Amino acid sequence: MKRHQMALAATGLSAALLLSACGGSDDDGDDSKGATPGASAPAGAPKDGTIKLVVADYGSGDGSMQKYWNGVISSFNAKYPGIKVNLQVINWDDIDKQVATMVQNNEMPDLLQTGGYADKVVDDLLYPVDDIMSPATKADFVESFTPAATVKGKQYGIPFTSSTRQLIYNTDLFTKAGITEPPKTWDDLKAAATKLKSAGVATPFGLPLGKEEAQGEFMNWALGNGGGYQTNGKYTVNSPANVEALNWVNDNLVKTGLTESNPGTKNRKDVYTDFYGGSVGMVNSNPTMIATLKKDYPNLKYATAAIPGKTGPLTETLGVCDWMMAFKKNGHKDQIKAFVDHAFSTDQQIKFQEQYSFPPVTKSVMAKMTANPSNAGLKPYIDLLPNAKFYPLNDVAWDVLSPKIKEQLGSAVSGKSPKDVLDQLQKEAESAVAQQKS
Amino acid sequence: MAETAVRRAPSVGTRVKKALAPLPWIGPAVLLIGLVVLWPVVVMVWSSFQRIRRTGIVVGPNGTDNYTKLFDEPDFVAVLWNTVVWVLVVVAVTLVLSLFLAQLFNQHFPGRRFARWAMIVPWAASVFMTAVVFKWMLHETHGVINTLMVDLHLMDAGKDWLGKPSTAMPWMMAVAVFVSLPFTTYTLLAGLQTVPGEVYEAARIDGASTWRTYLSITLPLLKPAILVAVVINLINVFNSFPIIWAMTNGGPGYETATTTVFMYQLKASDIGESAAMSVANFAMIIILVAFFLVVSRGNKETDR
Repeated sequence: MKRHQMALAATGLSAALLLSACGGSDDDGDDSKGATPGASAPAGAPKDGTIKLVVADYGSGDGSMQKYWNGVISSFNAKYPGIKVNLQVINWDDIDKQVATMVQNNEMPDLLQTGGYADKVVDDLLYPVDDIMSPATKADFVESFTPAATVKGKQYGIPFTSSTRQLIYNTDLFTKAGITEPPKTWDDLKAAATKLKSAGVATPFGLPLGKEEAQGEFMNWALGNGGGYQTNGKYTVNSPANVEALNWVNDNLVKTGLTESNPGTKNRKDVYTDFYGGSVGMVNSNPTMIATLKKDYPNLKYATAAIPGKTGPLTETLGVCDWMMAFKKNGHKDQIKAFVDHAFSTDQQIKFQEQYSFPPVTKSVMAKMTANPSNAGLKPYIDLLPNAKFYPLNDVAWDVLSPKIKEQLGSAVSGKSPKDVLDQLQKEAESAVAQQKS
Repeated sequence: MAETAVRRAPSVGTRVKKALAPLPWIGPAVLLIGLVVLWPVVVMVWSSFQRIRRTGIVVGPNGTDNYTKLFDEPDFVAVLWNTVVWVLVVVAVTLVLSLFLAQLFNQHFPGRRFARWAMIVPWAASVFMTAVVFKWMLHETHGVINTLMVDLHLMDAGKDWLGKPSTAMPWMMAVAVFVSLPFTTYTLLAGLQTVPGEVYEAARIDGASTWRTYLSITLPLLKPAILVAVVINLINVFNSFPIIWAMTNGGPGYETATTTVFMYQLKASDIGESAAMSVANFAMIIILVAFFLVVSRGNKETDR
């Protein structure tokens, strides 16, 4: 059996379709003969050629991503007319599967922008960031991303866009319930939720522990008790701090009916929609909520605050990050470097982050965005970035553990004991780590 | 036998030629079945013995580890039990209701044609769509079922039916019955129409009661149709994925998952283990089909 044999016949078929779809664009383009004569490239410029760029679609399929990247490429070509960039935009839901097919068929892109990178490091497919980025560009990145981007001392992931968490609350409902300031501790939160409930609010606290993002909502609570998924690089999913946090949520919010019904089966999307509808008092939010509220629900009055912890508000909150990575296979190191330096320049980055209302990944964009008053709603989320805590994204075992958490964590607020659920997840984590080693 | 003994046995060459004669016609179909049905089965079984990365890269043989891991899943037995209950309840309820409906549709009444057509609707609609519609009808605050029951003062407030396994399972089974009824009813109706009128006439002359006639004449003569309906429903309901996936995602945890849903869930973390679950599902289906073949052969013999 060949080591890199395809897993499924079906993927083979889709691969064939994909190959025919990309036909003609996969010429290696290493020949510099095709360069436009007369185009004066800057001194020390990379060789001409073609690089393939595959990116995820964050838009609603309205072509705005395509437009954004076309803008980046055309301004890049103004500087480097000899380097052709073939762009492929893939829907967010399909990109991981399609990239897996490309990897299986040894048809790697040169640059890929998607949700995770660690599995590609294990298979030794990527350039370390130092090879494909100038020191000046690298120095501009917000430092809090670096640990999550680094595997065994070398950085492979390039943060592309990010997100942090804040408590968002409906100020009209707070006034109605006679609450004057946002909760700072868990006890405050329970007291506020109780007041909201007596004021007739259907869902005092929205707790989306269903499959969509249970791993994120749980981390908000774990961090509030000094817990988390890992301690010193080892999984500690069932640490006493985590168990205590989940027990607190179950006993004080779920069993007392201060959340939506059966929070273990409710997704973030549903709870956010109910918040927009005005029936939710508070919920842990991400910055896209601010953009949606501004655009579609301008009449809903809200405010944000730091997420309450056991004894005080969180200073370090969950950060989420999507990545760009460069594949070694085609050997286009210099061309990639030129493009990466351009794509992560302040002018190009700010366009993307402002359009989609995501917190930035570079310090220069961060300074510009926070200085702009129209980003006032986004600013608290941006301010949290330097202290953001990430999932163990640099560990492949996390890719196995994450879906397990999504599926099983809801059980902890649906009748099973939180400790049993976390014990089981710890076992899943340990077996995932063991599998990576064997 | 006697006839063939008289005739001269054809030579081997002619026999092979004769056997191959239909090949040009059935060849493409055989090829298609081989490619689309058999080859994936081979790959599925092969995958279940491999260690496969989430990216799809095959690391190498994994012995029976995928199976050991699957059978050691703490939720595996509960999921199997869910599957047994799901299949038995849905098929049994479907069959009983369909017997009633088939009997009803076999009568002459005004509007029969319309009623028969209406029966097809749940069958014609996409199962996934039906499940999504039911999901929203059961929504705690906005769903039509809850608002209706609250308006009729049957309940004080809407219930989150799909949030708890104890209420989610019965509702999903109801949807599964709803989408299985048309096929089953039509199969039984076709069976009813093959029963000749004379046997009923004879029963009437003998003075048999309606109930007696049904038990002694209709049901035994309906046996082949019932057998077909049961076996096809067993397979369909066992493989039923969209209803559960659309309505609860198998949650909370795996408490409303059947083995088919569980197989899909496992794929997110371990492709090899998921393939092992597929093989186990496939084996269960094979057992069902074998059961069908044995029972139907027995049936033929008693017929003749």
